[in-house]
Amino acid sequence: MAKSVNIQIASVHLTSKFWQTFVAIMGVTFGVSMYIFMNSFMNGVNKTQDDLAFSALSHIRIYNQDNNHSYNPIESEYDNSQTVFNIHNRKSIQYTSGIKNSYGIVSLVEKQEEVVAVARQINFSVFFRSGSKKINGRVSGIELEQEDKLFKSSEIVTQGNWNNLQTHKSGIIIGKLLAEDLGLQVNSSINVLTSDGVSRNYIIVGIFESSLKDIDKTKAYLNITAARQLIGENSDYASDILINIKDRDNTVPVVKKLGLLIPFQIESWQEANEQLVAGASLRNVIAIAVSFTILLVAGFGIYNIMNMTINEKIKEIAILKATGFSGKDIKSIFLSQAGAIGLLGGFLGVILGYLISLLINQIPFNVASLETLPIYFRVQDFVLAVVFGVLTTLIAGYLPSRKAAKVDPVTIIRG
Amino acid sequence: MENKTSLKIRNLVKYFHEPETFQVLKGVSFEVKKGEFLSIVGKSGSGKSTLLYVLSTMDTDYEGTLQINGDLLTGKTQNQLAAFRNEHIGFVFQFHYLLPEFSCLQNVMLPALKLGKYSTKEIEHKAYESLRLLDIEGQALKSANKLSGGQQQRVAIARALINNPSIIMTDEPTGNLDSKNTEAVLDIFRGLAKENGQTIICVTHDKDFANNTDRTIEMADGLII
Repeated sequence: MAKSVNIQIASVHLTSKFWQTFVAIMGVTFGVSMYIFMNSFMNGVNKTQDDLAFSALSHIRIYNQDNNHSYNPIESEYDNSQTVFNIHNRKSIQYTSGIKNSYGIVSLVEKQEEVVAVARQINFSVFFRSGSKKINGRVSGIELEQEDKLFKSSEIVTQGNWNNLQTHKSGIIIGKLLAEDLGLQVNSSINVLTSDGVSRNYIIVGIFESSLKDIDKTKAYLNITAARQLIGENSDYASDILINIKDRDNTVPVVKKLGLLIPFQIESWQEANEQLVAGASLRNVIAIAVSFTILLVAGFGIYNIMNMTINEKIKEIAILKATGFSGKDIKSIFLSQAGAIGLLGGFLGVILGYLISLLINQIPFNVASLETLPIYFRVQDFVLAVVFGVLTTLIAGYLPSRKAAKVDPVTIIRG
Repeated sequence: MENKTSLKIRNLVKYFHEPETFQVLKGVSFEVKKGEFLSIVGKSGSGKSTLLYVLSTMDTDYEGTLQINGDLLTGKTQNQLAAFRNEHIGFVFQFHYLLPEFSCLQNVMLPALKLGKYSTKEIEHKAYESLRLLDIEGQALKSANKLSGGQQQRVAIARALINNPSIIMTDEPTGNLDSKNTEAVLDIFRGLAKENGQTIICVTHDKDFANNTDRTIEMADGLII
C-alpha cells in the first residue's frame, strides 16, 4: 500500500513538470539509441569485414612447412672441443613440403564433431602466359565440391561455370582482371609455367570475380588432380587442408584437439590474421567508448534535473516527512522517478536506435561488395542498451534522492 | 478516560546554534491529558513554536524527555518517528503547507494512504467527510494551489484529521481565517476533543481563541509563566 502511494506521488511529480521529464527522457533515449546504432553499425562493419575475409580464408588450416632446420652437424659433433672449424657457403636440403597422405588426415578431421567442411588444396606460384605476355600468379588446385562448401566459390564465377572444371580435364578458371590483362575470354587457351619449368596449356572454362582485387588479378583454379599432374605429385598429395568449424570464434579447442592427432602445423584464422581480430576489437572499443560517453552525458543531465526538482520540491518533501513519510519513502519516490525516466527513455531509445539504424542502412555505399552502409542487429545490444540506460539513470538519481531523504522538515517549515 | 496522560514532557532544554548559541527552551515540563484542548500563547521569540516542533517529534535536537501515549519518543530514529507521526499526530502548519500539484482530496488522502490501514475507497470516503466537516467539500477536486489561503488552511486541517490521530498539533491554525471560519474551526476542535477524546495543542497569538480552550499555557523567554 505504502509503496503504491510513493509511486503515485512520483507519477504526479513526473506528469506535472512535463517538459522537464521530457528532456530527461530524451537524454536517455538519445544515449540508448546511439548505443544501439553504434553497436549495430560496428557489428555490420565487422560482419562485412569477416564475410570478405572468409571468402578466401578458412577457419583452420593444416599445412606442412619446410622448417628452417637449425641442426648443425659439425657444431653438435665437436661441441666444446678445441678444434677450429670453418664452413663456407652452407646450404639447406629441400625437405618435402606438403602433405603426402592427405586422405588419412581428411578422414581424421571429418570425424571431429565441430567440423563443418574440409577441403584439400594445392597452392603454388606460376607464370600465366598468353602470346608474349607473361604474368606472375598463383594456381589453386581444388576439390570442387568441398571448396564450394567452404567458400561458396561457385557463386563468384561470372562467366562459364564452376562445375566445368569437373568435366574438362584441361580446364582452368581464372580471375577477371587476369583475363583482361592477358586479353583472354572463356574458351581461350592459356599457358601455365611452373617454377620447375613445366609448361602446359589449359582452356579457360570460367572467369571469376571476387571482392578482392588482388585475387582477381593473380589467381586461377585448377581441378586438384590436374594440379597434381602439373607439379608431378602423387594422387594423395595436398599442400593445404582447410577446415571450417561450427563456431569460428571458438577455434582454440579444435586446434588443440587436432594438434594431438596430426603431426603438421595447424593454424587458426586468428593466428594467421591478427590484424582482423585487432581491427574488430578496436572497433568494438570505439563503439563502447562513444556510447558510454553519451550515456554518461545523459546521466549528468538527469542528475542535474533531479537535483533541481528536489530543490524546487524541498517544501513538499518537508510536508511529506511531517505527515509521516520516512526518509526511505522519499528516497523511493525520487528513485522511482529516475527509474521511470530510465525505462521510458530506454524503451524509446530502442525504437529510435532501431529506426536510425534502418535509415543508415539505406545510405548508398558502393565499395567492395557493399551497396549500403552495413548494419547488423544483435539482441544482446538492445538488452544491454536498456540495462545501461536504466542503470545510468538510477545512479544519477540516487545521489539527489539521498539528499532529499535527508531533508530536515523543521528547518524548512519554520522558514 | 479523562485522567489518562496523552503527552508528557520533562525538563525540555533546547539550544539554537545559529547564528550564535542561544537557549530557546530552558527546562519546560508539563502534561496534557487525553481529550484536552490546550493552547500555548506567548510573544514571538518566547519559544512556543520551537516547543511545538519538539512535541511534534520532527525536531529531535533537544535535551529532556518526550512521551506520547506512554511511549518514550526521545532517542528513536527518524524513520520510527515518521511512522509514529503518521499514525498518532496530525499537524497543521502556520503557512498551510499543501502539495500544490495534488488536488485537495489527494492532499487529504496521502497520510492515510501512507498508513495503509484502509482501502483507497474507504480513505476517499473519510477524506470527503473531513472536507465536509470543514465546509470545503466543494473544492475537493481542485488543485491545491488554486485555493485561497483560508481554503488551503481548512484543507490542511482536514488532512490533519484523516488518520484519527490521538494528538492534533497546530501552529496558528486560524491565522488565515476570518472570524466566521475561526469560530467554525474552534467548534470542530472542541468537538474532536470532547467526543473523540483527541488531544489538541494549538500555538496561537489569538487571545480570543486561547480563551476558548480548556487550558492555556503562557510562555516567555523559554519558560512557562
